[in-house]
Amino acid sequence: MTPTRGFDTYRLLLRNQWKTTKRSSKTKQSPFIWLVLGAMVCYVGFTLFVLGYHFERFAIVFFPGSIPVLVVNQYLLAGFLSLFFIRFLFQQTPRMKLTPYLHLPLLKRDLVVFFQASSLISVHNVYPMLFFVPFWLRYVLPGHEPVAAWLWIISIMGLIGASHFGNLVLRSILRWRAAYFYPLIVLLIVITILDETSGYGMTRTLSGFMFGQILSANMVSFTLTMSIFLAFGVWSSVLLLKTLRRPVITAPETAIVRKPRTVPARFGVTGQLFYLELLLMWRNRRPRHYLILSLVFSTMYLVIMMATELAYGGFIFDGLIGLFASGGFVLNYGQLMFSWDSTHFDGLISRNITFRQIIRAKLLLLQASCLILFLLSLPLFIWLKPELLAVHVAFLLYNAGITTVLVMELATRNSQSVDISQSGSFFNYEGFSSKHWLWFIPTALPPTLFMIAVQNHLFAGLILLASLGFVNLICTELWTNYFSRGLSLRKYEIAQGFRNNAR
Amino acid sequence: MRVEIIDVLKRFGKKTALNIPSWKLEDGEIVGLVGSNGAGKTTFLRLVLDLLHPENGRVEIDGISVSRSAAWKASTGSYLDESFLIGFLSISEYLKFVGAVFGLKNGTTERALEQYRSFLPSRSDDVSGKLVRELSTGNGKKVGIVAAMFIRPDLLILDEPFANLDPPSQIRLKQNILRLARENGTTMIISSHDLGHVTEICSRITLLDDGHIIRDEKTSSETLSELQSYFAS
Repeated sequence: MTPTRGFDTYRLLLRNQWKTTKRSSKTKQSPFIWLVLGAMVCYVGFTLFVLGYHFERFAIVFFPGSIPVLVVNQYLLAGFLSLFFIRFLFQQTPRMKLTPYLHLPLLKRDLVVFFQASSLISVHNVYPMLFFVPFWLRYVLPGHEPVAAWLWIISIMGLIGASHFGNLVLRSILRWRAAYFYPLIVLLIVITILDETSGYGMTRTLSGFMFGQILSANMVSFTLTMSIFLAFGVWSSVLLLKTLRRPVITAPETAIVRKPRTVPARFGVTGQLFYLELLLMWRNRRPRHYLILSLVFSTMYLVIMMATELAYGGFIFDGLIGLFASGGFVLNYGQLMFSWDSTHFDGLISRNITFRQIIRAKLLLLQASCLILFLLSLPLFIWLKPELLAVHVAFLLYNAGITTVLVMELATRNSQSVDISQSGSFFNYEGFSSKHWLWFIPTALPPTLFMIAVQNHLFAGLILLASLGFVNLICTELWTNYFSRGLSLRKYEIAQGFRNNAR
Repeated sequence: MRVEIIDVLKRFGKKTALNIPSWKLEDGEIVGLVGSNGAGKTTFLRLVLDLLHPENGRVEIDGISVSRSAAWKASTGSYLDESFLIGFLSISEYLKFVGAVFGLKNGTTERALEQYRSFLPSRSDDVSGKLVRELSTGNGKKVGIVAAMFIRPDLLILDEPFANLDPPSQIRLKQNILRLARENGTTMIISSHDLGHVTEICSRITLLDDGHIIRDEKTSSETLSELQSYFAS
């Protein structure tokens, strides 16, 4: 039998991809969610369009007396680095999409070409153009040679593509060498700080020079940007092909348990479930990653946030610091609280375990995490911003009492499964749906808005915030009953969702 | 424990997965659930375990609807598939966890497991200390079945327990099932494609086809040949 090749393969894959998209659970959201998402997309799109088309009005505020094109040229490289960071957080890799085709008589090279090319159809490659195209039409095209203007916009597209494939390269490397992640992040932060504080601003100078040259129709700079695009494209394809030939990295994490760890029976079923949750975090890559991420939020990230002085918007910042310092784990890990159990959910709910015990153990874990993160970040507050100590204390009670409840409400409505053992890749968003992004608004917005509202009576406001949290905290039993009833009612839907997703 | 299915209808989309007007299982009975792929066996078991909600009707255990009260869970052991296992625990941790949720102390669990040692994956299989998710399909299934049985349940529900097991393990499983029934009087529902094993251990056979019970009778010396003829046709 000869393998299917070239365009026959692409046609087959295109048809399957279309069916996958059409039948995906993500496209089967409720009309309300579509409406809210549509409104958000329109808002963001319109904002970017206005920002691009009327750039001089924004340039006056931040760069008075500057020429829009020169300003944008200077910040293009830095902008693409920022986009790269956003991509790293949210962009999905095409690796998993290839798996169902690997045993078929299709050439791996064709599969890689198709999925690499189709991965370019991504929202991350579209939204930057909503700024750049109107900007180009208004400021670049009228004032420059047509050829140079076209080279400029093509270069922009090339760099967007380069950041797309560059991200895939980085993630492939991190799959093999996950330990590189933290040194890389530290290196990037150090270089950026040094570049800005030294006064040289080399990134800005280089960026301004490169794109200035392109606008003079300089083919060397143009070729260089396009070469970066091509180099990353080829490199990421080669790495993907290599991943297909060495699938060891997707194998489940192995661990030899020398001494079985169990909880004495006197701690009851809630104690068993609490301990089970700790083992789940410790022995599985993805939940463990969320644990580390929460620690990073509550320590390293906090240092950056507290060290940054803002001219305005400080109260919003204070609210966010308070929210994440002790509630980082709740906000990260908590929203997938039942998805973590998706692989053994049937076994959990058909055994001699009540929904109250399940909910109590999970609420206890979230509340305990608030206290632990509070204590871990306390020295940082004392060291860097002692004036925020009251905020930290108030938000400990708010997070333990209210954020946990808000997050649990979302968790008991989520039926997206998560493969905890297989997905060790960084920032894998499997298990998330648009609900999670929407839910962030009622979770994060009220406390930050509250901070603005009470800025003139901050202490009284914080006492109110803490009191609300405390009252909710002592009502834990009531919430346990409420969530137990909810889980009991929705268990069929959740269990079926986990079973369907697992296939 | 008595199990009764009353006027149950379960649909997945437009397809009727199960339609059972009436079905009863008396205390201490062992029923074998047989049928082709897609006949509705697993759906049947999931409904009994309250893992699915029927569009109509109800399942009762000892006269109480399984969706109304969870009291039946305290004396029911079950293993349907790998979703009943907790992959990130070692074999010992998993079995002790199951024992603890049924109120057994670690020492009691250890003693209860003694009679299943020959069935559980042995040290020679190099599984000591490994996590459940690292076991082969067959060994994982053995752990799940033992977890359902060692608590000495009054009701035992197993889905395809003989599949993926090597011949010696199949024989040991049959012995364990029969011993549990003899010593504990456990009521059992066992679905299987292995007609030989199921007719050997079950006192009654329920045959499902396309979501309907088409035959339900006590096992006799002719049952095996009759079932073989049915499936051959």
